[in-house]
Amino acid sequence: MWFFVIGDLWIFACYFIGYSYDRAHDASAFLDGQRLLSPGMGVLNTAILLTSSLFVALCAQATRAGDITIASRFIALGGTCGAAFLVTKVIEWHAEVSAGFPPSTYPFFTYYFTLTGLHFLHVLLGLLILALGWRELRKSTKPRAEFVEASATYWHMVDSLWIAIFAALYLMR
Amino acid sequence: MTAYLRSSLTVVWFLLVAVTFVSWWVGTGGGRGGSDVSVSITIAVVAIALLKTRFVFSHFMEVRTGPSWLRASCNGWLAGVALILLAFYEYRLQAEHFR
Repeated sequence: MWFFVIGDLWIFACYFIGYSYDRAHDASAFLDGQRLLSPGMGVLNTAILLTSSLFVALCAQATRAGDITIASRFIALGGTCGAAFLVTKVIEWHAEVSAGFPPSTYPFFTYYFTLTGLHFLHVLLGLLILALGWRELRKSTKPRAEFVEASATYWHMVDSLWIAIFAALYLMR
Repeated sequence: MTAYLRSSLTVVWFLLVAVTFVSWWVGTGGGRGGSDVSVSITIAVVAIALLKTRFVFSHFMEVRTGPSWLRASCNGWLAGVALILLAFYEYRLQAEHFR
């Protein structure tokens, strides 16, 4: 899992290279696009993912301690927060598309939809992996702690990527 | 569950959420409004983001107790992203400005 996670982190770093290059080329046009975002929604997205990461980290601790029932509750709470993130993201995208922010008008939105869209897919995959971890905890008489830890590792990567994306898209000037 | 929620991880989570609000305040000009290109704001918000990511790596991902190659890989990624979002971006910004 670690090799996959580190590889994925570097793939996103490559997207940041393209973003930085194009943004520096036309900084004021990118700022015009960025002003149309709601930073409050970005903060909400971040708080939700950080909360989900806390629950997933506590799940790993509980699994190692043998508190399997508690661990399965924590992983379910983490997954619920992940699903809430997807809902808030869809609401945010819907508001932006309805307001008419096409990528052709604001170059910023090409990167915005690409980066947040790719991250959205990672959250979906992360939820699937968390569901497998949850099933391991619920169904197995002797759940494999390393399996649950691997699910948690992937989920924390999804959270880490969002923290960088939030700063790059919503805040940097 | 309450016993687990009383762990140091919850303190880390609280700090991460609090710092997110601080970065929001900094990124929107510290209540002064204005939304021009700003090197200092960019440095501040990216530095805060990378610090938060480091905390997620070390405390939630438990990288701090992992092998040295893992710590080096995660620190290397943080340094790489800092280089891209700060040094590379600011260099390109200056190059475009004075072209």
